Amino acid sequence: MASISKDRWLAIATLMPSIILIGIFVYGFIGNTFYVSMTDWNEEQALSFDPEINYTGLENYRYLFSDSLSPEVQEMLAQMQETMGDDFPDDISMFTDPLGTRFRQDMVNAVFYSVLLLAGAVGLGMFLAILLDRRPRGIGILRTVFLYPMALSFIVTGTIWNWLLAPQGLNQLPTAVGLDPIQFDWLSSRDQILTFNWQRLLPVLLYILAAVLIVWGLMRLRRKGAKALYHLLLPGVVIGASTWLFGGFLPDVLMMEEPHGFNLATLGIIMAAVWQYSGYTMALYLAGFHGISLDIAEAAKLDGAGPFGYYRHVAIPMLKPITISAVIILSHISLKMFDLIYAMTGWDTATTGHPALNMFTTSFRANNFAKGAAIAVVLFLLAAMFIIPYLVSSYRKKKGVA
Amino acid sequence: MAQVELKNVGKRFGDNQVVEGVNLSIADNEFIVLVGPSGCGKSTILRMIAGLEKISDGEISISSRVVNHVPPKDRDVAMVFQNYALYPHMSVAQNMGFSLKMRRRSKEETEAKVKQAAEILGLTEYLQRKPAALSGGQRQRVAMGRAIVRKPEVFLFDEPLSNLDAQLRTQMRIELKKLHMKLETTTIYVTHDQIEAMTLADRIVVLKDGRVQQVGTPIEVFENPVNRFVAGFIGNPPTNVFPATYSTDGGPKVDIGGLTLPVVNGKSASLNDGDKVLVGIRPDAVKTGNKIQAMDPAWRTTVDVVLAEIVGGQSLLELTAHGHSFIAEVEGHLTPKPGEKLEVGFELNRMFLFDPDTEESLTA
Repeated sequence: MASISKDRWLAIATLMPSIILIGIFVYGFIGNTFYVSMTDWNEEQALSFDPEINYTGLENYRYLFSDSLSPEVQEMLAQMQETMGDDFPDDISMFTDPLGTRFRQDMVNAVFYSVLLLAGAVGLGMFLAILLDRRPRGIGILRTVFLYPMALSFIVTGTIWNWLLAPQGLNQLPTAVGLDPIQFDWLSSRDQILTFNWQRLLPVLLYILAAVLIVWGLMRLRRKGAKALYHLLLPGVVIGASTWLFGGFLPDVLMMEEPHGFNLATLGIIMAAVWQYSGYTMALYLAGFHGISLDIAEAAKLDGAGPFGYYRHVAIPMLKPITISAVIILSHISLKMFDLIYAMTGWDTATTGHPALNMFTTSFRANNFAKGAAIAVVLFLLAAMFIIPYLVSSYRKKKGVA
Repeated sequence: MAQVELKNVGKRFGDNQVVEGVNLSIADNEFIVLVGPSGCGKSTILRMIAGLEKISDGEISISSRVVNHVPPKDRDVAMVFQNYALYPHMSVAQNMGFSLKMRRRSKEETEAKVKQAAEILGLTEYLQRKPAALSGGQRQRVAMGRAIVRKPEVFLFDEPLSNLDAQLRTQMRIELKKLHMKLETTTIYVTHDQIEAMTLADRIVVLKDGRVQQVGTPIEVFENPVNRFVAGFIGNPPTNVFPATYSTDGGPKVDIGGLTLPVVNGKSASLNDGDKVLVGIRPDAVKTGNKIQAMDPAWRTTVDVVLAEIVGGQSLLELTAHGHSFIAEVEGHLTPKPGEKLEVGFELNRMFLFDPDTEESLTA
C-alpha cells in the first residue's frame, strides 16, 4: 500500500519548517556563495544600487592561487605603459595585487595553526588527563580549573593573552629571578622560519615518502627480512634516487608561486588557542580514562606495565575513538580561529593572517565580494575535508548498530 | 617451586576490618580454593597476594620472599579476572604476548610462547582476532592464556568462571583442572561456588566475615565441618539443622522434639544431660529403599513426603516428620509421590552436632 501513515505526515509536517529554513539560509546561501565566487562582483560594483554582475568561471580561484594580475590591474598597467612609454618601470612587482600572495601565506598559516593547535591541545590535554587520572588530591578543583578556559569566548581569551604577551607581560617574568627579560615579540615578530618554495612541493613530498619508506624498511628488516626489503626499502631508495635525479622534470605546483614559511608571530595566538582547548581535550580523555575498567588497569599492572607502559600501550590506544573526535573537533575549530586572531592582532596584520580573516577583509573592507566568496568556498571545502569523513564513519557506525 | 605463606594477614579499609588474622601455608603446585559468600574477603586476600591491595597487617611471602612491598609486576604472579579484563584494542596474540612485551622479551620468544599457549588452549585459529569477536568461553581461554604464557610462579584466579553459562562453566572447570595437572603451578582460586571449590581444590579454605573458618581437603570439609556455617555452605542442598536436647539415658542420644536419634560419633563426652545442641544431617545421609534394611531400627523413622523434585539421577525430597521439615537427596528411581508415607534411615555416623551458642562443631 502506497499510502503514508498519519504518523509519517505528522513527522513531515513538524520537520518541514526547519527543513525549509535550513534549506534557504544554510544550503541556499552556501550555493549563493559558490555562485558569487564565480562572478566579477568586486569593488567597482560594490557601490552600485543595481550592480552588473558577470559570470567569470574559475577566474577568482585562478587569481587566488597564481600571481597573475587581475584583469583590472593589467588593463591599468597597459594604459600606463602607453602613456609613459620608456618611463614605464621594468620591475612591476610594486603593482602586483598583494591579495593572492597574502592569501597563500594565510593558507600556510592556517596549516600551522591547525597542526600546532591539534598537537598542542591533544598533547597537553592528554598529559593533564594522565596527571589527573593518577587521582591527585583536589582533582575536582583541578579539573574545573583546567576546563574553565573553555567557557570563555575567544575574544576574552584573546584579550587576556594579548596583555600577557605584551612586552611588559610574560616577557618580564625572568626579571623576577634576576635574569634579563625575554626579547621575543610574541605577536609582532616578523621572522619566518621553515621557509621553502612551495612550488617544489611535489619533490619535497616524494623525498619525505622515500625517507619514511627507507626508515620503516630498516626498522622491519630485522624481523620481516626479504618482505621489508622488497616492499619498503627498495621502493624507498628508488623513489628517493629518481626524485634526486629527475626531480627537475617534475612540474611545479602552480598554486604557490612564492616561498612561504612559518610566521613566528603566530606562536602567541597558538599558545592562547592551546590554553583554551587543552582543558577540553583533557576532559574528553579524563572521561575516557575513567571509563576504562579498573580490571584492565590491574591486569596491565600484573602484566608488568608501569604507568608509562599502561598509558602508552593500553589506555591511549583504547581511547582511539576519543582521539579521533578530538582531532576532528579541534581541526574544524582551528579553521574558525577568526575571533582569536581578530582579538589579538586585529584583522589586518599580515603575519598572523588566516583565510577566515582574509575572507572578511576582502569581502567587507575591500568590497571584493566575489574574491571573498572564493576564499569562503576554499575554507568550506577544507572544513568539509575534515567533517565529511567523520560524518561518514559515524553514520556507518550507527548503521552497524541498528 | 613456589610456596605461598600468609602470616596473620589482615586488611582494613578505614575502620572496616575486611580480612583478619589469616594464616595459610600453600605448598608448591597446590591448588587452593578460597570459598565463601560475597563480602567474606576472599577476593581481597587474592588481591593482596597479587599486590593490587596493600597489606594492612601481617606478612605475605612467595617462595620465602616477603612481598609486602614488592610491586605486582615483580611478584611473578599472574591473575585471571572475573570479567577477563582483556585489552579490547589488541588481538588475541597481542593480549597473550603483552606481558612478555612489557618484560622486553624478543619477538621470536614471545611469538613462540604465545603459539605454545594457544595450542594448549585451542586458540590457534583465533590468534589474529580481537576479543570482541570471541565468545565468552574463548575470551576466558585468552585470559588464561595471558596468564600462562609467562610461566609465573603463582596463578591467581578471581571467580574466572562466573560469567559463563552453566554448561560452559562445567566444561571450563574440567579444562582448568587438566591445565593445572599439566602446568603444575601453584594456584589460588577464588569462588563463591562451592561446587567449583569441591571439584577443583586440593585444599579448600572456607572464609566468612574475613576470617578463615576451615582449611582442608574437599572431603574433610564436607564430612567434618568445623562449624554450622561450613556445614551449611559446603554441600548442596545445605545440611539440615535441627535444635535438639542431648541426653545420656541409655546411651548418648539427641531428642529432636518427638524424634530421638542415638549419637554414635563425636566428643559427646563434653555434653551433659539436658544440654541444648544443634543436630546437622546432610541430605545425602538420609537414605531410602533397600539401603535402610541393614540399619539399626533406631536410625529409622517414617516421614511424610511434601514435595519431590526430580533432577535426574537424583531427586530432592522435602519431607516432614514430627513437625520438622528437612531435605533428603535420594536416587531418582526411588522418588516417591507427594503425600505418600516413606520410611527413611539416617546415616548417624555422619551426623554433626553443633553448640547452639558458638555454632562450633561438637563432633569434628
